[in-house]
Amino acid sequence: MSLNVCLKSARLICLFLALAMTPGFAVAADAPIRFGLTAVVVTENLRFLDQWSDYLAAKMDREVELVLRKSYREVMDLLNSGAVDFAWICGFPYVQKRDPETVQLLTVPVYRGAPRYHSYIIVPHNSPYKRFSDLKGKIFAFSDPDSNSGFLYPLDLMVAREERPESYFRQTFFTFNHAETVQAVSEQFADGGAVDSYIWEYLASYRPDMTEKTRIIKKSPSFGFPPIVARSGLDQVTVELMKNTLENMSRDSAGQSLLSQLKLDGFGDYSDSLFNDIRAMANRVQIDDANFQVQLAE
Amino acid sequence: MPNLNPKSWPLAIKLSLTITAVVTAVGFMIGAVMVVQDWTRAHEVLGEKALLLSESVAITAPKAIVRKDFWSLYLGLKNLRSGSNEIISAMILDVEGRVQAHTHPAKNPMGLRFSPENELEMDLYGQAMGARKPVVFSSGGFDRAGFQEAVIPIFADQKYLGVVRVRLSVARLYEKAKTSALIVLALVLCFVIIGSALGTLVSRHMVKPLTAVTQGLEAVGRGEMTDFSPISIKGKDEIGRLSVTFNQIMVELAEKKMLEEEVAMSEKLVALGRITAGVAHEVNNPLAGLLNCIDTLRKHPNDKALFDRYLPVIDQGLHRIKEIVHNLLVGLRIEEGDEMVGIDHIDKLRDLIKAEIADRDIKVVWENQADRNLSISGKLEQIVYNLLRNAVEVLADGGVIHCRMYQKGSYLTIEVEDNGPGISAAIRNQLFDPFFTTKSNGTGLGLWVVYRLTQNLEGIIEVESEEGQGTTFHVSVPVAKAKAA
Repeated sequence: MSLNVCLKSARLICLFLALAMTPGFAVAADAPIRFGLTAVVVTENLRFLDQWSDYLAAKMDREVELVLRKSYREVMDLLNSGAVDFAWICGFPYVQKRDPETVQLLTVPVYRGAPRYHSYIIVPHNSPYKRFSDLKGKIFAFSDPDSNSGFLYPLDLMVAREERPESYFRQTFFTFNHAETVQAVSEQFADGGAVDSYIWEYLASYRPDMTEKTRIIKKSPSFGFPPIVARSGLDQVTVELMKNTLENMSRDSAGQSLLSQLKLDGFGDYSDSLFNDIRAMANRVQIDDANFQVQLAE
Repeated sequence: MPNLNPKSWPLAIKLSLTITAVVTAVGFMIGAVMVVQDWTRAHEVLGEKALLLSESVAITAPKAIVRKDFWSLYLGLKNLRSGSNEIISAMILDVEGRVQAHTHPAKNPMGLRFSPENELEMDLYGQAMGARKPVVFSSGGFDRAGFQEAVIPIFADQKYLGVVRVRLSVARLYEKAKTSALIVLALVLCFVIIGSALGTLVSRHMVKPLTAVTQGLEAVGRGEMTDFSPISIKGKDEIGRLSVTFNQIMVELAEKKMLEEEVAMSEKLVALGRITAGVAHEVNNPLAGLLNCIDTLRKHPNDKALFDRYLPVIDQGLHRIKEIVHNLLVGLRIEEGDEMVGIDHIDKLRDLIKAEIADRDIKVVWENQADRNLSISGKLEQIVYNLLRNAVEVLADGGVIHCRMYQKGSYLTIEVEDNGPGISAAIRNQLFDPFFTTKSNGTGLGLWVVYRLTQNLEGIIEVESEEGQGTTFHVSVPVAKAKAA
């Protein structure tokens, strides 16, 4: 019996030695870097995602795999479980308290000169609604229950009016995609919706037919742009490599071309305090998801 | 102007028109049946398509309804629309009839009760909400705006959750049906044209012998038989047999006509002979007497008494010859000279005849009802004079002559009636023969002249007579002829 144990131990030691003897970078090079995303801008730009992963792979000399999920929550789960190493998430999930903390801020996209964006409250272009309060009792489209611009901000507006968010609108639903929120409003399926200003502006240049059918009735104060995060515990070499690669994208033409497709200026190093406004909002608004019929993983 | 009465159209036209009508009717009927069947089948297919589309929604709907994932429901309906441009509308309603998703969200807000636009929609809505099995509603009729609507109730674990309604437009079917109807119409038209042409050819071919028979018979009617050419016989059917019979009849008719002409010719010769014999006889008789008288006078040149006795006889004989020759001239040369005179000339005959009657006891009754302005042929005057003189000659004392003139239609009729001894049936058909007379001193030319003149005026002469009762002559001549000038 003890022999058996010994044999097993010996095998384990051999395995450990084999791993230890292999150079560190070689181990990392074997496993691809997994990068979690929800829809970047719109779901259909898969070709862009291929170009981007190729670019990152070339720069980092590592295989990069982009992992697409429907909701931020799913991406967060992937991060928490270590199934992805990096992720592009929203400021809201970023500021949510986790114990232990599973993510670290990597870099923040720079949009129109600053790492900031807004939330737009939009209505159909021909609708009579002029203010957010006009939408009371109507149908409202949220983007993602973990979206700052598409959920937290309108909720905060209701809380500020001392209204009960769950009964403020007649009907609410989640599109899990800012572009689809614009679609829902433009097709008058919803009387109003909350969207990411970055996505709305992006659509305004690529799909003006959609945004022309919507009208912005409220623009939020600026918030920290949805950041790129790394999972806690990821080796610092990879973290630094990814951070540098992203932040240097604006320095070469291939990177610039990709950034221009994303309508971003680049990625920059910013402190966590950029997200204090979102953090404050998240603290004000206590969300009970069950009241919003949140529909997650299909 | 073409003849509009179909009864008098040629058989060839009627036959080909009938064939055309039959071909057209059959063509249109087949075409209509094809179009209607096509339309019905396409409708059914569309209904099945609507059911399939509804089914595809109904399969995924329960989960989304339960989770109130309206956006997914809406996208599901939207996807249907991008898959089929025939979709007029699609909707998902819950148990209460509240809109869960609708392809026209602006008009049908989510979460509110679906509100039908009109009574028909109300009815369909009621039926859809009551449906517990998949059904297809059809708007029916041949209408561009028609639709086929599939209704599928949504069940999850046997619990009724609502209903999917997908409505497809028949507009495309309608266009297709219209196109195929046009094609069928064009085909039918081609069919009709070809059929009519063939029909016309066939009927012409069939009717050709009949046309020839008809033309032949028309020629017979006109009295032309000399240029008859036999109809060619094509077949042994009714028309073939008719042609054979017709050819035989025509040959026989032609022979008969020739015979008739020969008879007429010999009759003419006979008549000529009779006239010649009559003339010879009538002129010879007085001539013999006259020659005797002249002989006797020559032997006794100084016998005054003989002169006194024979000269009137010679005079009378010569006058008789003169009268005969005059009448012959009148009767034979009637074509010459036809002066028109007023009807009042006839009335003058009344005085003339009264002079002839002199002191005999014969009454003349004169009725002239004809138009006073009528002008008549001078020949008619001669006719009436001859008839009146005849009547005077046959009447004894106490006789009455009725002379009536009246117009009937386009004819002027003159009747001369006497109450004399009448004409015996035995001689009635010789009445108008030249030199036929019952009178001792008659020439037998008076009625012959009447007959010839009446014929020349294209009139009709009729005799009504009963022995011992009297005789009536009716002479009718066309007024148009009498009126001329």
